Amino acid sequence: MKPSMKRIVVLCFAFLTMAAPAMAGELNLSVAASLKEVINELTATYSAQHPSIVFVKNFGSSGTLAAQIENGAPADLFISANTEWMEYLKEKKLVVAASEKTFAFNSLVFAGTTQKNVSSMNDLPALEKIAIGSPKSVPAGEYAMTAIKKAGIETKLANKLVMAKDVKECLMYAEIGEVDGAFIYRTDALQAQKAKLLFVVPQKLYPRVVYPMALTVKAVDNNDAKAFEAYLQGTEAKSVLQKFGFILK
Amino acid sequence: MKLHIDVEKKLGAFSLQVKADISGEKTGIFGDSGSGKSTLVHLISGLMQPDKGEIILNEQCLFSTHQKINISAAQRRIAIVFQQPMLFPHLSVKANLLYGFKRCHTENRLIKPDALIDLLKLQPLLLRGVEHLSGGEKQRVALGRAVLANPRLLLMDEPLSALDDTLRFQIIPYLRSVSEEFRIPYLFISHSMTEMQLMTDHILEIENGRCIDETTPEQLARDRMAKSQKGYLNLLHLSSPRHENGLYIYTWGRNTLFISAGQQTEKSLFELSSREIILFKKHPEAISARNLLECRVAEMFESDERVGVVLSANGEKIVAEIVRQAADELNINTGATLFAAIKASSFRRLA
Amino acid sequence: MLLAPEDITAIWLSIKVALTATVLSLPFGFTVAWLIVFKPFKGKVFLEVLVNLPLTLPPVVIGFFLLLLLGKNGWIGKLLIEYGIALIFTWKAAVIASATVGFPLLVRSIRLGMESIDRQLLDASRSLGAHWYDTLLTIILPLSLRGILAGSSLMFARSLGEFGATIIVAGNIPGITQTIPLAIYDYASSPSSTTMALSLCMVSVVISVTVLFLHELLNRQLDRKRAL
Repeated sequence: MKPSMKRIVVLCFAFLTMAAPAMAGELNLSVAASLKEVINELTATYSAQHPSIVFVKNFGSSGTLAAQIENGAPADLFISANTEWMEYLKEKKLVVAASEKTFAFNSLVFAGTTQKNVSSMNDLPALEKIAIGSPKSVPAGEYAMTAIKKAGIETKLANKLVMAKDVKECLMYAEIGEVDGAFIYRTDALQAQKAKLLFVVPQKLYPRVVYPMALTVKAVDNNDAKAFEAYLQGTEAKSVLQKFGFILK
Repeated sequence: MKLHIDVEKKLGAFSLQVKADISGEKTGIFGDSGSGKSTLVHLISGLMQPDKGEIILNEQCLFSTHQKINISAAQRRIAIVFQQPMLFPHLSVKANLLYGFKRCHTENRLIKPDALIDLLKLQPLLLRGVEHLSGGEKQRVALGRAVLANPRLLLMDEPLSALDDTLRFQIIPYLRSVSEEFRIPYLFISHSMTEMQLMTDHILEIENGRCIDETTPEQLARDRMAKSQKGYLNLLHLSSPRHENGLYIYTWGRNTLFISAGQQTEKSLFELSSREIILFKKHPEAISARNLLECRVAEMFESDERVGVVLSANGEKIVAEIVRQAADELNINTGATLFAAIKASSFRRLA
Repeated sequence: MLLAPEDITAIWLSIKVALTATVLSLPFGFTVAWLIVFKPFKGKVFLEVLVNLPLTLPPVVIGFFLLLLLGKNGWIGKLLIEYGIALIFTWKAAVIASATVGFPLLVRSIRLGMESIDRQLLDASRSLGAHWYDTLLTIILPLSLRGILAGSSLMFARSLGEFGATIIVAGNIPGITQTIPLAIYDYASSPSSTTMALSLCMVSVVISVTVLFLHELLNRQLDRKRAL
């Protein structure tokens, strides 16, 4: 190798290895989409208090996040919008079972810009289009689908359901008015500008919305990760959650 | 047929300005490549629009800047035979032939397909696709297609230039018979003197986008004798030879000609360059050339540095070409008797 | 191979959307190609750029523009709503998305076919009495058939795989707009559905191969006809 070439290679190596220590204060979070705003505020506060910590946040549908972790995506903390995907990763031994805690609870609502009179599940078949998270990977969609089936309107709603990739996209569809309404969380409805909260989905129609969180096996010895998880259980975090409309018990 | 053209067209650096009145059935347009012949064809047919001027065919105005008339090419009823046959590749020979015919008004359909197919001997080709026809067959079909459109005027734009010599002179009889049988006037464009001689009775000479002369084929051939590569080309129509000792013996009027490249066919067309004729003032006792004709000088003309001697051999005309010096030396004058020697191999058979 | 009933619907829907997009685009594609190849006019460059634009833009961007244009508050959408026509989140939107994305491919192929037509053939046709529309139908159309065929196949295949613009403007509605790519995407977001996704992928491949096959066959037919 020519001397100048050699120098470039050495520099590259040095740069890469130098970058590694910089990653020591980095925390990778894989978080359910519906927690976007609350986690953004919580990480901002935490960063201010702990300047050496840098957060890398990845929001998406819990199913997608689980798939990513299964395929080796770097994540230290996983917060899911249902127990299914947490169980999935526990089974695959990709999360530390002992570190599992409950982060928050939520409830499912139906919101939209439609002018029609919608006050219960039975009013839904009268609508043209309804946005719902894809049940295959979005917990909000799964909850909604369960509620739809339990309410007995599944066949009536066939061909009306627009699949969204996560609950935020549902909200977006509801906001732009291209659908009559969408199944979203109460916390999302509170963020909505144009879509009105039309009714709360009766809890008896679907299982409780639980947000379990856990450390991934990669982060089993990561003290920063453990410390942040503990923070998320603390009183400061809980008051922020309440502010955003999440249920704590 | 009467065609009045007075047009101007500029194409890049080239400019065309032609003013002419053409009448008659067999007119030629002669010029070298780049002289503007093709452009003229496109302007007359309506495929290209002149910058200004007028075109009037048989009292009908086809184009006039002044009167703002521009009849589309589709309505002019002027058919074209191009240099390349331009047969429609996706249609059969029959469909090609009938293309123009179908688009001709019923009252104008004077020429019927059957008559034409017979004349041009196209019967065996009718159902074939056009891709695998020979060059000559394609051009015959192209001719048939143009004629069947029942045009008022047929423009033939170097129709034979893409064919080899044998084919060329095989097609000419078809061109002539079609014109004679169906009485369609034509404009024949070419840069070949021989084609002009055979196809036209008067010629427009075009050079650099200008019409420089209106003349006859004979006159043109004489004028170009010195410039042309092969001098003045005498054309002889001969028939039914005897074959003896490797030579073909033809009767030419009251003369006899011995030709090497003859053929045992009914009719043949031969070409003899004026430069291949050697003139003697006195009868040469013994000579290797097999043809020795006693002639009388009917006429003499000048062409640049050469002298054309029009000889009459028992009533048949032939033109010999000699340099001025020779003419002076031999003291050749009209009425003088000369002997013309021509080698048997000098005759070139065209068809 | 596992195929759920929704998958079968997705397959039929994909074929339906691709076919409709191709058939609807053909007359426009042919006209545009004809204008570009044979008609000189001012501003032709802009037409060419416009036609080729979807080729260079990411499909999601195209989808976004279509949404702006055709949505409830869009410039054209507003007018359509008055006539009771809603396009967003319907299979018609999927057709429009596929048509927009595939249009440049269609025009390109037909253009190539048309450019190979010897202009003198058109001169011959005109001199034999054919007006421009006659020449268009009897000479240009038959001789561009190869280009039309190639363009249609390309467009059909492209439509089958269309995702980015489709998901934005037609949404992912099983039974209505969930075409094969959208269905696979749904499966792919969930780690437990890999086998289902694979089955659909196989079907997608089979359809594409069939289309290419048919295209080849038709080409041979065209060649054989000419060689007679």
